[in-house]
Amino acid sequence: MSPGRYFTIWLACIRYTLVRTLMFRGDFFIWSLVELCWMSVNVLMILVIYQHTASIAGWSEYQMVLLVATAMLIQRLLMGFFWTSIFEMGRNVRTGDFDFVLAQPGNPLFMASTRKIDPDGLANSVLALGVVAYAVHRLGLHPGALDLALYAALVLCGLVIHFSILVLTISLVFWLKNAQGMEGSYFTLADFGRLPRAAFKGASRILFVWILPLVVVTNVPARTLLQGFHPGWVAWTAAMAAAWFSLAVFVFNRGLRRYSSASS
Amino acid sequence: MYAVLNKYRTAFLIGLQSNVVYRWNFAIRSCFSFVQLAVIFILWRAAYASSPDIGGFGFGQTLTYFVTLIVVQFFIGAFNEDYQINEEIRNGLINQFLLKPINYFSYRFSIFTAARVVSGSLVLVPLLAALPLLGHLLVFPHGAWRLALGLPAMVMGGLIQFTIAFCFGMFTFWFLEIQGFIILSLALESILGGQMFPLDLLPRAAFRVTQCLPFYYQMYFPAAILTGRISGHVALRQLPVQAAWVVGLFGLAALLWKRGLRRHTAVGG
Repeated sequence: MSPGRYFTIWLACIRYTLVRTLMFRGDFFIWSLVELCWMSVNVLMILVIYQHTASIAGWSEYQMVLLVATAMLIQRLLMGFFWTSIFEMGRNVRTGDFDFVLAQPGNPLFMASTRKIDPDGLANSVLALGVVAYAVHRLGLHPGALDLALYAALVLCGLVIHFSILVLTISLVFWLKNAQGMEGSYFTLADFGRLPRAAFKGASRILFVWILPLVVVTNVPARTLLQGFHPGWVAWTAAMAAAWFSLAVFVFNRGLRRYSSASS
Repeated sequence: MYAVLNKYRTAFLIGLQSNVVYRWNFAIRSCFSFVQLAVIFILWRAAYASSPDIGGFGFGQTLTYFVTLIVVQFFIGAFNEDYQINEEIRNGLINQFLLKPINYFSYRFSIFTAARVVSGSLVLVPLLAALPLLGHLLVFPHGAWRLALGLPAMVMGGLIQFTIAFCFGMFTFWFLEIQGFIILSLALESILGGQMFPLDLLPRAAFRVTQCLPFYYQMYFPAAILTGRISGHVALRQLPVQAAWVVGLFGLAALLWKRGLRRHTAVGG
């Protein structure tokens, strides 16, 4: 199937989701409020800590807000574009409803991970972008078009890495049969992305900076806005995105071999 | 009286059995709580590096507060009681309780207590594993009175947590889908219950406002007594307030149950 055809399918999925959202407007409002509340909680935590300290690992208050907002932006984009579909994938593999995805004429990972979008997550990614812009303004930064394009590309790399880690986590269902609650482990790991790289020392630095790139995916885009282009870190982030995506596809396909259909 | 207690003792024992079935789920969850503790440790260690005194407390005292909070959470926190009630109302399973001489609130509370016995015991495993790494950093204040006041505060904190979860479960009579409300309340509880940072770090006026809300008495209050963030006379002054919240929330739960049942339609043959 050509990329254009995949894009057409994806657009059809978005259309379906938007129509559904318009049917349940109250639900959309509540979930937008939920996401907004969680974002506020994270920003508030930073503001409260900075009432009592001048810096966290060399990052000033609004530099930290920029870092946390970048982490939120990546996570909201993930929630908006992929979360519901991947979450349902875990449930469908358990119940056998995954047959429906496999019967479709397309790549199973694409079909399984792009069926639904969350407009509330996307609405809040706009808000997260607003917090990024506010932090940039408070820091007195004036990024050029190239800096902004680079920031966007790095956020995209971050999205790919988060997507891959989520797929890897949910793919455990092929082996465990019941991975209910495993998605919570993704959120726990994602929390590390809200911390500055310099705060990690010893074993935690090796694990969360070099092995699991969760810290890098948020720190590199934020640093790019603060300090400009750093070719080494940008290349590392792009390479990590490619490596983690390949690993996720590999594990998903291996898991798929273990899937026993629900049909009799 | 004995027959009544025996009824809920049986519910407790059944709850204990069914929660032991999910022991791995609780064990994994408690292990991940300690991964979360790593986030807290890294963040606060970095914050303390530039300011050795935050809100009048050292790094060890703040870390002790968070470790205590995690342990307290597994002993008294409501994990998914609201979802369970939601499921029972939506699927019509609640109908069986309407026909039997059993109080639904007490039944659910017996199950909640059983679940907390299991989750509370399991959180001790990663805690013991983490002690060699963290033990030298933990700073508990002296004074047996802290236990004497902290334990009743924990019990009442558990009652508040369960009753709030019960009230959210009751919303099912009106809304059917309550997941959004639950996660919204979780966000409020995490900030106003002192899970993101000790509440005493808030500006004075905001801290005073939190003391008027039930979330303050859920986990911050017992954890603050046990870790020395609250003095004896403040604890003694606030314990009756906590008790008043327990009574008030019991009343709200009873009202929601009564009103909710009027809207409920039991279908079946």
